[in-house]
Amino acid sequence: MAKTLIVGEIQKGGLREATLELVTLARKLGGEVASLVIGSGVGAVAEDLAKRGGGKVLLADDASLAVYTADGHARAIRRAIDAEKPDLVLISNTPIGWDLAGKVAASLDCGIATDVIRIEQDGGDLVFVRRMFNAKFDARLRVSGSPRFATVQPGASDAYTGSESGSVAKLDGVAGDSRTKFVEIRVAPAGGHDLTKAEIIVSGGRGLQKPENFDAVLKPLVEALGAQMGASRPVVDAGWLPHEYQVGSSGQVVSPKLYVAVGISGAIQHLVGMKSSNFIIAINKDPDAPIFEVADVGIVGDLFEIVPALAAALKTAKGG
Amino acid sequence: MKILVCLKQVPHKDARLELASDGSWIQDANIKFEINDYDNYALEEALRIKDKDAASEVLVLSIGPDRVQQSLRTALGMGADRAIQIWDDGLARADSLAIAKAIAAVAKTEKCDLVLMGLMSDDTNFAVTGPILAELLGVPHATGIVSAKFDGGQVEVERELEGGALEVVKLPLPCLLTAQTGMNEVRYASLKGIMQAKRKPLDKKSLADIGLSAGAVAPKVTIEKIYSPPKGKGAEILSGSKDEIAQKFVGKVKELGLL
Repeated sequence: MAKTLIVGEIQKGGLREATLELVTLARKLGGEVASLVIGSGVGAVAEDLAKRGGGKVLLADDASLAVYTADGHARAIRRAIDAEKPDLVLISNTPIGWDLAGKVAASLDCGIATDVIRIEQDGGDLVFVRRMFNAKFDARLRVSGSPRFATVQPGASDAYTGSESGSVAKLDGVAGDSRTKFVEIRVAPAGGHDLTKAEIIVSGGRGLQKPENFDAVLKPLVEALGAQMGASRPVVDAGWLPHEYQVGSSGQVVSPKLYVAVGISGAIQHLVGMKSSNFIIAINKDPDAPIFEVADVGIVGDLFEIVPALAAALKTAKGG
Repeated sequence: MKILVCLKQVPHKDARLELASDGSWIQDANIKFEINDYDNYALEEALRIKDKDAASEVLVLSIGPDRVQQSLRTALGMGADRAIQIWDDGLARADSLAIAKAIAAVAKTEKCDLVLMGLMSDDTNFAVTGPILAELLGVPHATGIVSAKFDGGQVEVERELEGGALEVVKLPLPCLLTAQTGMNEVRYASLKGIMQAKRKPLDKKSLADIGLSAGAVAPKVTIEKIYSPPKGKGAEILSGSKDEIAQKFVGKVKELGLL
């Protein structure tokens, strides 16, 4: 098998776990593995990746790469592609990866598969497996281009844990300007609604149909369970509940003892935020809703009938 | 400011999706379609610029068969000035790169200051047409934005990262921005707007009209097959009357020691 170039990502000064997941994928494909580390003063990260399966690690190290910009990172990746001539370029599907990958692929007139969860070998060709229609279906894709590009969903593979003796080589010609100027990272002020420590969370989704139903329908169940209320992204986007209620990759990542999902179909961005809960109960009218794939217990039916019945039965059981 | 907003028509959120018999797409003959949700936020952002500066022009574009004209009329009813539909049988299996090439062909002729579109579409979820288009147009871009403040020849945007963090960046115009959902509150078309929309121009263009050959938009990414995901361990489904289900639910909560 051919050569794979892994585009590493740095988080809080070290290698992001997702980069080591790309190492697992690349090594499964066999063939040569090369990697790229981009930043300023990040030689130690490159050394680290070389020892952890990154193979030949190219280091794009320059003051102009200290913060992420699409122009700067794209330039570094193009240099690495020129140097290594890989057949496949893997990039993590993170806010940096999805901002960057399409730009680089387009600059070379190459195909790109995004948010891939698996890469299979089929004869001499590769098949890229990913979700579509908000996780309702899976798709198998063929990609052409030299190289081919794929962004990979974080968490889709295990991180590589082997130790290898790789090498680090400095890449030149990576300095330059960026049209986009970084200003700052803003962290939203913590709201008063911390779900990360809740024992029980009952979350409502678009299935509740209107904001009033969170009080009228969901709240009695929340109270009967002594739970905290959460919500899916569409509910927050519609302004029905504040952002501090949002469970998911762009909200809070939770792992309570019990998570009850009401009227939530289970978009990936929600599942990422709650799938490590100890026990999950899902209530949804669609038996094919992806939420049932991660749930331990499912109730298929009309939440407007079921949820009040659950709240009433809990009250009775508690002797109230 | 001249703004191009790219709209994709996708199956309605509540449409019941079934696989086509050849397994390469869904059955789309008898389902309802709507404007991709992410794109609505992009359109709203463009209309807000026009609200402040009446000299601005908002051009909406959609690639698709004639059913997309309805979405374009909706956008015109909301306040867009002009609409372009691009369609050609050669685009039936187009990938993100081919779609971006078709949009680029129009955008270059129109010479827009700003291109706005959604971060991703609710059907394929590729989330990559924006950055590809920016590269083809030679303009900078930012993806997944939740705010945009224009000041002279530049714009400061907030990009949504993970866990509620935001990255603030400044870009010179012309540029391309992709909208995250929840960016603004999307307006509805007024009755007056809908009436006016009927008289606004909607041009249908073929590949030849925009100077592209079928070969130029041959896909580099093909969907070999789509299918229902293999069932994992799956959930234990509680059955019975709603009261029986409720008793079983209480039983589960008790087993967990949470009652």
